[in-house]
Amino acid sequence: MTALQQADLLGRRAVRESLRTPEALAPTLFIPVFFLVVNFGQAGEIFPSDSTPFLYGQTYAAFQLPSSLLLAASFGSAALYLVEDIEGGYFDKLRAAPVSRGALVLGRLLAEGLKTAVLTVALIIIALPFGVTIASGPAGFVLLLVLTSLWGIVFTGFMQLIALKTRSAAATNSGGLVFFPLLFLTPNFVPRDLLTRPMEIAATLNPVTYVMEALRSLILQDLQWDVLGRGFGVVAAFGALMLFLNVRMVRRYD
Amino acid sequence: MNALAIEAEGLVKQYRGRSGTVDAVRGVDLNVSAGEVFGFLGPNGAGKSTTVRMLTTLLSITSGTARVAGIDVAADPDAVRRRIGVALQEAGLDHRQTGRELIVLQARLFGSSAAEASARAQELLELVELTEDADRRVKGYSGGMKRRLDLASALVHRPEVLFLDEPTTGLDPASRLSVWDEVRRINQRGTTVFLTTQYLEEADQLCDRLAIIDGGRIVRAGTPSSLKKELRERLRLPGDAPDPTLDEVFLDATGRTRERVAGDVQEVTA
Repeated sequence: MTALQQADLLGRRAVRESLRTPEALAPTLFIPVFFLVVNFGQAGEIFPSDSTPFLYGQTYAAFQLPSSLLLAASFGSAALYLVEDIEGGYFDKLRAAPVSRGALVLGRLLAEGLKTAVLTVALIIIALPFGVTIASGPAGFVLLLVLTSLWGIVFTGFMQLIALKTRSAAATNSGGLVFFPLLFLTPNFVPRDLLTRPMEIAATLNPVTYVMEALRSLILQDLQWDVLGRGFGVVAAFGALMLFLNVRMVRRYD
Repeated sequence: MNALAIEAEGLVKQYRGRSGTVDAVRGVDLNVSAGEVFGFLGPNGAGKSTTVRMLTTLLSITSGTARVAGIDVAADPDAVRRRIGVALQEAGLDHRQTGRELIVLQARLFGSSAAEASARAQELLELVELTEDADRRVKGYSGGMKRRLDLASALVHRPEVLFLDEPTTGLDPASRLSVWDEVRRINQRGTTVFLTTQYLEEADQLCDRLAIIDGGRIVRAGTPSSLKKELRERLRLPGDAPDPTLDEVFLDATGRTRERVAGDVQEVTA
């Protein structure tokens, strides 16, 4: 059996795990929707669609949607399930089986990617009444799903590292909070060129910025390959790094 | 199969922490023949679980060598994993899956097709008498049922060597007897069993040979009867005196003393 087949089996198990704990899914949907509604409610009047060039004719909700998508993708609940497996001994059971160490890591990450795709679809549907459309069309919609899911995999990979290192649910949960400063050091409310100079520098150094700009371009404009290239480049680079570090951590796990 | 199912020479495990180096296992030598039930006894913190974790590829070996089913544990851990079954101290189960799903997944991870895994799951669930509860989530299982399921999941690939780390700790007497029956049945089918336990009666009932570990070192090894005989001779007990029990062998080996206090109440002190 190949490592990919093993990852598929473990991924299916992780999907079952998520489906059997719907209560854990609720905050992943509710909090991003809350941010979308509140931010749109607070700033929608300041940025009217007909006189705000960076909205490309859409409402401010369309500008805000990428933040909510990234937030939904960054809960990393798979890492908390991993801590449960570690504490309960199931992780050792898997480690004592001839399962590829890559598959042990990848199974959960693939399931998290799938879960993120479903959440992305749900969030887009919820955003439709706020005047949001996907300007890049069906291809852009697919790219939006893929990019958000890949980001979910990257961030879950980061949280899995904390889980494997600390073996503690509390530490893993706290590690996830890192995403909030990263989210707010992006062109979250206005485009990068409208930020103050220090914020612009911070946003430029922040990799999340490029994923957010790529997602935003898919919602507001036609396919912008240069922006998309940067966004996908970030998830590819960080995804490879997270996979490498996770596999190394499992191999050295004592 | 190799004549020796488990061989360890000078097995050492050191942990390095902020407070310095801790020697958990200080040079363990073991020889377990294929087909036997081997007991590994010791007080808490003696190094039993650490030794098992090294032999089952779960812990790195600081120094020394170990071969399981004829394969070097450090050199080819994956090959060892294909030949061993492991049921650790905490029944390693996924509580959100059903018993059947758990065994099917385990079988598939060992390379069985979906149909083979399904058939093997049914066979094992029957073996451990869990067919009626097979489609319930593990979360609702009793402690004894979880232990039996853990045992079943360790057997999916018909391992040559089965490691059981304190399989009856925390079980009521009836569940304990049921696990003993399973261990005997598994062994009768040709599987070598390496069993760690704190229960001396368990070792006496199940094990062909045993070793006692204390402070990370093997302090006694032999058959239960040879160990009792050795103690009897060393203590020069008169001919009409009853044979020493395994408890007494254990206490003697680990340097603990037993004092009878108020009739049958026994106290063990270090």
